[in-house]
Amino acid sequence: MANVMDRRRFLQGSAALAGVSQINPDFLISSAFAQGGKPLVFLSAENITGNWDPTAHTTLSQKNIEGFVMGFLTRTPMTLDDPSKVVYELATDIQLLEPTRLQIKLRKGIHFHDGKPFKAEDVKATFEYGSGKDRPAQWYPGPTESLTITTPDDETVIVDTSKGGYPAHLFIFLASFLPIMSAKDIAEGPGGALTRRLNGTGPFRFVEQRGNSTVLAAFDGYFKGKPAIPGIDFTFTGDSTTRMLSLMNGQASIVERLEPEQVETVKANPKIAINQVVSVENKYLWFRCSKPPFDDVRVRMAACHSIDRAMIVELLGAAGHASANYVSPVKFGYVDLKNYPAYDPAKAQALLAEAGFPKGKGLPPLEYITSVGFYPKTKEYGEVITAMLNEQGFPVNLTVLEPAAWNERLYHRPGGGPGHMVDCGWSTGSPEPDLVLRTHFHSSSHRITGIEDAAIDASLDKERAAPTLEARKAILQDETMPLLAAKVPALSLFTSVMIHAMQKELQGLYVYPDGSIDASKTV
Amino acid sequence: MFVLSFLARRLAQGAVIIFLVSLLIFTLLRVVPGDPVRLMAGGMAPEALIEQIATQMGLRDPIPVQFGRYMARVVQGDLGQSFVRPANGAATGGANFNDTTRGERAKVMDLILDALPMTLQLAALALVFALVFSSLLGIAAGLRPGGIADKLAFTVSSVFVSLPNFWLGIVLALLLSVKLGWLPAIGYGGFSYTVLPALVLAVELSPVLIRTLSGAVAAQMGESYVTVGQVRGLSPTRIVAAHALRNASVPLLNLLGVQFSSLLGGVIIVEYIFDYPGLGLLTINAVLQRDFPLIQGIAIVTSAIFVLINILVDLAATSIDPRLEY
Repeated sequence: MANVMDRRRFLQGSAALAGVSQINPDFLISSAFAQGGKPLVFLSAENITGNWDPTAHTTLSQKNIEGFVMGFLTRTPMTLDDPSKVVYELATDIQLLEPTRLQIKLRKGIHFHDGKPFKAEDVKATFEYGSGKDRPAQWYPGPTESLTITTPDDETVIVDTSKGGYPAHLFIFLASFLPIMSAKDIAEGPGGALTRRLNGTGPFRFVEQRGNSTVLAAFDGYFKGKPAIPGIDFTFTGDSTTRMLSLMNGQASIVERLEPEQVETVKANPKIAINQVVSVENKYLWFRCSKPPFDDVRVRMAACHSIDRAMIVELLGAAGHASANYVSPVKFGYVDLKNYPAYDPAKAQALLAEAGFPKGKGLPPLEYITSVGFYPKTKEYGEVITAMLNEQGFPVNLTVLEPAAWNERLYHRPGGGPGHMVDCGWSTGSPEPDLVLRTHFHSSSHRITGIEDAAIDASLDKERAAPTLEARKAILQDETMPLLAAKVPALSLFTSVMIHAMQKELQGLYVYPDGSIDASKTV
Repeated sequence: MFVLSFLARRLAQGAVIIFLVSLLIFTLLRVVPGDPVRLMAGGMAPEALIEQIATQMGLRDPIPVQFGRYMARVVQGDLGQSFVRPANGAATGGANFNDTTRGERAKVMDLILDALPMTLQLAALALVFALVFSSLLGIAAGLRPGGIADKLAFTVSSVFVSLPNFWLGIVLALLLSVKLGWLPAIGYGGFSYTVLPALVLAVELSPVLIRTLSGAVAAQMGESYVTVGQVRGLSPTRIVAAHALRNASVPLLNLLGVQFSSLLGGVIIVEYIFDYPGLGLLTINAVLQRDFPLIQGIAIVTSAIFVLINILVDLAATSIDPRLEY
C-alpha cells in the first residue's frame, strides 16, 4: 500500500477537521463555573410539593424557598446563647395589650413582588386563611373562628384570642414562622394565585419552576435594598454524593445535609466553607403508645434506660448535638431535664421485671422502623439502638426503608400504626415549643405516638394558657417537660446539627437553625 | 412485500410483548408495599379519607378490572396523570390530596416526552463513544488474533466489565470535572452535560462490543472470500472495510439491539448519579414516590422502544445479509 495522500483522502481529512472545528470548546473551560455575576445555586436534599400555597404543606425544602421569597413579621435567629431573640422585619413592634390581645405595628413603604402595597389587611388575611381548619399545615394555636382580627389602620393589626380561650402571646413566636401572603392572592380562593406561584415581600421574587429547579430573581424593591446576587436557582438533587460533586466542581454554590464523613473530606478543600448550626430539629425514637407493650410506661422507660445516647452522638460526629429535652436547645423553654432518662441497664431490668417481662421474657417481637437516605446515619445508629435493646432482652428487629415507604408507615393510625418504634425528626422554624410538644403529645393530635394521657393534656393546656411568656417558661420547665420525661411517649435522641457546605467566596449568608437562609446580604 | 409482512408480524409480536410487560408491571406495583394513596393524602390523613380517595380512584377494585380500565385509555394514547407531580414537572413530595388548593397534576405522556429526548441523546452519544472505541480496538484485535491488540482488547474488556457504573461515574466526575475542570458533571445545561454520563455508559457497553467485533472480524478474515480478494489484487483496506467488516457487522448489529436494553437499565443509575433529567431519573423518582401511572407509562414506552429497536435491527440485518430470516 503506497504511503501517499490522494485527493479523496485529502478531502476526507479536511472534512474530519472541519467537523472537529464545529465542536464548541467552551465546555472544556472551567472558568464558566465561577461565582461572579451568576445566580446562587442551592442544591436541596428534599423535593417540594408542587403547590405554592404556604399553608398547604409542612415540607422543609419548600419552607426554605419561602424563606427567600416571603416576608415575615419577625425573624428569630434562634442561637444557643439567646433562643428567644427577635429581629423585626415587616413588623416594627409587637405588644401584648392584654393576655388575649396582641398589637402588631407594621413597617411602611413595603410592596409585594406583584406591586401591591403591604398593609394590615394582608396580615389579617394571612392569619384568618392560615388558621382555617381545612389548611393542611396546622401551625396556628386555634381555628379561624377562635380569632378576631381588626385593623384600625393600614399599619396596625390587633389579634384577639379571647373567643378561643388561649393567650395572644402564642402569636409572638409564630410571627417569625408564618409567611405573610397578599390579601389579593388569598381572595382568589382555592386553586388561585397562591397555588400557582409565590408572591411575597422578601429579597427574591419567584420567576418560574423549571423541572426540579425553582428559579428566583433579586427583587428590586426589597425594603432593605436589592440583593447583590442576581438570583437563586433552588434545585432538588436527591443524592448527597451528587450534591457534593456539584459543589466541588463549582456548579453548586451551596449544598445542604452533608454526611459527617463528607464534612471531613470537604474541610480539606480550600475553596469550600462549612457552616454548622445546632438546628431546631430533634431526632426521636417514637413509641407506639396505644398498643402493647409500649402502652405501659414502665416498658417505655425500660427501653429508654437501655439506650446509651452518648454513644449515638459519638457515632453521628458533626451531625449530632447532645440534648436532654423534647425540644431543641434553640427553642423557647429548653432546659436540660434532670429526670431525662439516662443509660442505666439496672433500672431497665428492674422496670421490665416490674412490668411482667423479666429480662424481656414474654415481650412480643418488636419492629423498629427507620429510614435511609434523608437523615444522616439513621441506619447506623438504628443498628446500635437495636443491639442495645436486644442486650436488655427487647426482641427488636430493625426495618430500614427508603423515605417514601417509611413515610407511609410513620404516623399513628387507629390500633397504633405499623411497627412499635419509629425513627423521625421534627423541625419547625420557630422558637415555639408547642409546634413539637402539643403536636405530638396532646391527645387531640398525637401524630406518631398515639398517646392519650389526661395528665399530659392538662399540663400542655396549662402551659399554653399561661398569661405571660415568663409564666409559660416556668410551667414548661418545671412541670410539662419533666412530666413528658417521666411518661416518655418518645425518647429524643439528640439535636441535629444542620450542615451546609458552600463556596468560600460566598460572604454574608446567614443559615437559620431550620435550614432556611438569608441571602439578602450575600456577595 | 417481504418488508411489509415482516413489519406486520413483528409489530404484532411486539404488541403482545408490550401488553405482557404492562400487565406484569401493573400487577407488581399493586402488590409491593407502599400505598400510593397514603403518600398522596399525606401521612396524617385519616384512614377513612384514604379509603375514600382509593375508592374514588378505583384503586380498591380487583386488579384485572383496574388493568382493563387502564389499557382502554392507553390504546387511545392516554397514559393518565401522575399521582404526585404537578403540571410544571417538578419532582414533589408531601402534598395533601384533599387540599382544595392543590394544583393540576402533570400528564404522564408530557413528563415522558420531556425526559425521553434527553435519554435518547445520552444513549446515542454513549453508543457513538462505545462504537468508535470498540471498533478501533475490536477490529485491530480481530485482524491479528493473539497479537498485542488482541491482548490489549482482552485486558481492556476485562477491566471495563469489572467497573461498577456508579463508582466509575463518581470517579470520572471527580477527575474530569472536579480536578481538571474539563467537563460539567451535574444536571443539564447544554450538550456538554451529556458527555460524562455518556462516557460511563460507553465503558459499560464496550466490553461486549469489543469481544463481539474482534471475534466476528477474526472469523471473517479466515473466510475464503478474503483469500480470493487478495488474489484479485484488492487492497487489504478494501478487503477489510468493504467486505469483512460488512459481514462482521451482522452479529454486532444484533448485539446492539440487546445492548440497548441494558443501556436503558444503565441510564437509571447513571442519570441519578449525574442528576441528568432523563427517563432514568424520572423512573427513580417515580418509584420512590410510588407514582404508579408514571411507572407504568415509563414501562410501556421503554418496552415499546425496545421492541421497535429490535425490529429495526433485524430489518437492517436482513438488508445486509438477505440470507437471514426473522
